[in-house]
Amino acid sequence: MPMKGRYPIRRTLEYLQKGEIIFKKRVKIMTVNYNTHGELSEGARKFVFFNIPQIQYKNPWVQIMMFKNMTPSPFLKFYLDDGEQVLVDVEGKDYRQISQHVKKILGKSDEVLHAEAQAKMQASHPANFGPKKYCLRECICEVEGQVPCPSTTPLPKEMTGKYRAKMAESQD
Amino acid sequence: MPCIRFSATDMFQVIGGRSVQAARLLAPRSAVVVEAVRGRKSRTDPVAKSKEGRIKVPPSIDPVEMVVLKERYSEYELIMRALRMEFREEVLRKKYEEEMGSQAELRARQEEEEHRALMDWNNQENLRILEARVLRIQQEEEEAERKKMEAAIQREQKQQEFIRQKEEEILKLQEEAKNFVTLENLDQRIEEALDNPKNYNFAIDKEGKVVKRTVLQ
Repeated sequence: MPMKGRYPIRRTLEYLQKGEIIFKKRVKIMTVNYNTHGELSEGARKFVFFNIPQIQYKNPWVQIMMFKNMTPSPFLKFYLDDGEQVLVDVEGKDYRQISQHVKKILGKSDEVLHAEAQAKMQASHPANFGPKKYCLRECICEVEGQVPCPSTTPLPKEMTGKYRAKMAESQD
Repeated sequence: MPCIRFSATDMFQVIGGRSVQAARLLAPRSAVVVEAVRGRKSRTDPVAKSKEGRIKVPPSIDPVEMVVLKERYSEYELIMRALRMEFREEVLRKKYEEEMGSQAELRARQEEEEHRALMDWNNQENLRILEARVLRIQQEEEEAERKKMEAAIQREQKQQEFIRQKEEEILKLQEEAKNFVTLENLDQRIEEALDNPKNYNFAIDKEGKVVKRTVLQ
C-alpha cells in the first residue's frame, strides 16, 4: 500500500520542496481559523489542505495551529516576535490568492532568497577536502578516475613508498 | 623531542591520540579527546615469552638537533597560533559588523519601512473585504426580511382560503338542508315517494347508447 490519504501527492518530497512561502525571521506563530462548511471558507479549507504542509516543511520552526468552526468568517493571524499581530482576512478568497498574499506580506522575497543561496554557496568551497560534514570529499581516492584507495585495492608496486626507497637506495 | 600532533584546522576538532598526554596538552579546552585503545592484554596477564627480558629504551636524543628543532618548532607554533587567532578574530569581527555595523542599521530601517508598507497594504485589503462582507450581510438580512414577509402573506392567504372553503361548505349544506326529510315532512315525503316510483335500471349496449326503458311495472 504505497499511497495513503486523499491527495497523497501532498506527502511527496518533491511537492513539499516546491513550497514558495519562506517566512521572515520574525514570524513565530501562524494561526488559521476556518469553517468546515460554507462557501466562504472554501478557499481557506483548500489553503489548509494543500499549502500548509509546504509551509511547515519550509519553516520548521514556525508553530502553525488550525482552529475549526470558532468564528463565522475565516482568517489567518500571524504573531511576530516583537509582539505584533498581523490579521489577514481570507473570506471568499481563492487558495492561490491567499498564498500569494501571505507570501507578499510576510514571506522572504525572491531577491533575498537568491542572496542567501549565494552567500551559502560562497561559504562552502567545493574544492576543499575534509570531513563529510563540511566538504564534499575527504580524500582524492573518492573521485572517479583517480587512484583508488589503497585500503580497498593494493597499489601497484611501483607506487609504494618502500619500493621507491629501495630503488633510490640501490641506485646510489 | 615532544611528539607534535597538529590538528587540521580549528574547525575539525578531532584529535587521534598516539600519546594521550601530548594530545591533551595541545588540544584547546573544548576539543573531544579520543582515548587510544591498543593491545589485547589486561593488567593481570603475564608478559609474553619473547618479551621477557626486554628493557624499553627510548630513542637517543641528539642535544644539538634537539635545540635546533625546539627553536624551529617554537617559531612554527608561534606562527600557527597567530594565524589561528587572526582567523578567529576575523570571523568574530564579521559577525559583529553583520549584527551591529552601520550597514545593519540601514538595513534594519529599510526593512522596517518595507514591513510597514506591507502591513498598510494588508490593512487595506482587510478593509476591502470588510466592506464586501458588510454589504453581503445587509443583502442577506434584506433577503431574510423579504422571505419572512412573503411567508406571512402566504400564511394569511392560506387562512383566507381555508375560511372561504369552509363558508362554501356551510352554504352548500344550508342549501341541501332545504331538501332534508324532517319529522314534519316525513308523512308528506313518504306519500310523494310512494306516488312517484323511480326506476334506476338502465341498459347500455356496446356503442354506449343508454336505454332507459326496461322491464318494470
